[in-house]
Amino acid sequence: MKLLRAVATLAAATAIASACQRRGEISEAEASELASREKRLAARVAALAVDTSGGAVLARWVLPAELKEISGLAVTANGSLLAHNDEQGRVFVIDPRRGVVIKQFMVGKGDLRGDFEAIAVSGADIFLLLSNGTIYRFREGADGEGVPYTIVDTKLGRECEFEGIAIEAAGEVVVLPCKNVAKKSLRDQLVIYRWDLGGLASQRASMLTVPLARLIGPNGWKSLHPSDVAIDPVTKNYVLIASQEKALIEITPGGEVVRAGPLPEPSEQAEGVAITSDGILAISDEGNRQRATITLYRWPLVPVPLGIVSPPPGPLESR
Amino acid sequence: MGEGMTFVRRFVDLVALGSDHPISRLIAYYIGLGLVILALAYFFPESERLLLGRGAAAPAETPLILEDGLTPAPAATTLGAGSLLELAVTTTLVLIGTILLMLPVTWVYMSARHIPGHSQAVVQTLIILPLVVAGIVLIVRDSLALAFTLAGVVAAVRFRTNLRDTRDVVFIFLSIAVGFAAGMQTLAVGAVLTITFNFVLLLTWRYDFGRNVLTPTAASKWAGPLNSLANTGEYDAVPDRDLVLSLSPKSADSLAERFERVSEVLGKRKKKARFTSVLTITTNEVADAQPLVEYVLEDKAKRWKLDEVVTNTGKPSAIYYLLRLRKSVTRDELLTAIRDNAGEKIENADLESRDAIEEEIGASA
Repeated sequence: MKLLRAVATLAAATAIASACQRRGEISEAEASELASREKRLAARVAALAVDTSGGAVLARWVLPAELKEISGLAVTANGSLLAHNDEQGRVFVIDPRRGVVIKQFMVGKGDLRGDFEAIAVSGADIFLLLSNGTIYRFREGADGEGVPYTIVDTKLGRECEFEGIAIEAAGEVVVLPCKNVAKKSLRDQLVIYRWDLGGLASQRASMLTVPLARLIGPNGWKSLHPSDVAIDPVTKNYVLIASQEKALIEITPGGEVVRAGPLPEPSEQAEGVAITSDGILAISDEGNRQRATITLYRWPLVPVPLGIVSPPPGPLESR
Repeated sequence: MGEGMTFVRRFVDLVALGSDHPISRLIAYYIGLGLVILALAYFFPESERLLLGRGAAAPAETPLILEDGLTPAPAATTLGAGSLLELAVTTTLVLIGTILLMLPVTWVYMSARHIPGHSQAVVQTLIILPLVVAGIVLIVRDSLALAFTLAGVVAAVRFRTNLRDTRDVVFIFLSIAVGFAAGMQTLAVGAVLTITFNFVLLLTWRYDFGRNVLTPTAASKWAGPLNSLANTGEYDAVPDRDLVLSLSPKSADSLAERFERVSEVLGKRKKKARFTSVLTITTNEVADAQPLVEYVLEDKAKRWKLDEVVTNTGKPSAIYYLLRLRKSVTRDELLTAIRDNAGEKIENADLESRDAIEEEIGASA
């Protein structure tokens, strides 16, 4: 009987725990909290509209265990963030203003695995990048759904290792900054490939190079290993972050350096960047020793750092 | 604990229809365990996640409200997210699940053995070790720093144990594996592992898998004596190794008497045997032969006792004597004297000495 009593007690405790952890629906208290979060964020954005110090944090969301190794970030047309971890083809849709994972869907049937490094959105299409330059293209799915995909092989894997992807709004041009360049002759350059999804096979790839010396400047970095890229929806500039150097770079599509400096905050391992159309910079941090987070900052960080004179951009090569 | 075990035993009896067959009882146990898990999963769906974990790859339910990193919150522990209550419940469920998985392993360990006897310490270790391992894994989890600390602590605690049976090591490994599975909240893996292990082990034991064909089986060793025992007219022959279980009460009594006689010959523990030999006389004239034989025994034996007279129809009857020969009299002298005195009345006379019996038992063991 003692055992039965113990089992009954355990069952009751489980029920309580289940009730405490009930998910799938948001209670009134939670809805109220979410509303206040939204208000707080709006107030901070408004307060920072006149602030020129830059780097102030609007919000920080601590991510669940499934996103412990968050890799890429992207913004959808409705302002949601897309995030994924670096091993599974599963995409999380996050409301950055309220700090809620709205839904998640799988690429393929759910067992897709790979070295996923970055994500980007163009219209209804979502692009998930492998480090070898292979791109999975698919549409947003419903919660828990597995979505069909097509594969685009850029065949750029031999040229360099990729960790970031962005789509230029003008067309189906994929922007792929190199993290590690294979060619020795290019190791003193920041190399960014542009891959035209709709172009002729022989003219799909072009390369933009920016001398690293111009970017590093007084920052003291030994090199630069971009871990993600986003496109500023207003200026169309490329905004890159580098986890290793804890750097944030902004260059024009023509290769002029707009900003090259440290991240707004020293993060553990900044892996993803995205910019919303209403001026919020989101940076995902894998947080090796801490829990992974997404931090929101006011964008642009202003002011543009002085003292860095943008040199003429490197040659725009055609491959 | 005792009541709990009684309940489990009764349930297993019920489902196994009272069968003592280990495989039937194991199946019955696992059916019961499966029902409990199904009931838990049905009434408390959260328990399935807590117990089985579904691994780190399991999707969180959505919508999921994220923790606000700007508001002061309790520091994250290496044990992962979740309330203290959930943590306690998870740990408790994991540990109970571990015990429930290891119980049948201990039963198999105790029963399916070729070497007689088992170590109680190993049995208890099989229950306790996975609990400790599960606890350690729950604490360490993804923390590299804790893992290194653990390695340091374990390196400092040295222990060495010699196990009697090399197979015991496999059981210990299994208990560690189950502990790991429990610690990682993937008890489903532990369940499949232990179920497979138990049934494979039982089947290899049942069919004596891997036996050297030149080595006689236990069944073949007993086939002769048990067959003759069973061949009492009521049953012709029982070729099965479970012969003992199929004996009639009469045959069982007969077997018990014979064992008792051998026991009496061998003597009680640490006590000098009163008799050292069994004299078997086969004769068709029991009444005539008996006094003639006993006349010789009076002369040649230090002490003797009529043990049993087995009267047969259609074949000679047997007279059994327990005796201790005088030191000066040899086996051959006794048998010669009996044949001289009662040669016409007896068919055969044979003397089994204690040494010969012990030698035979030793050889068969």
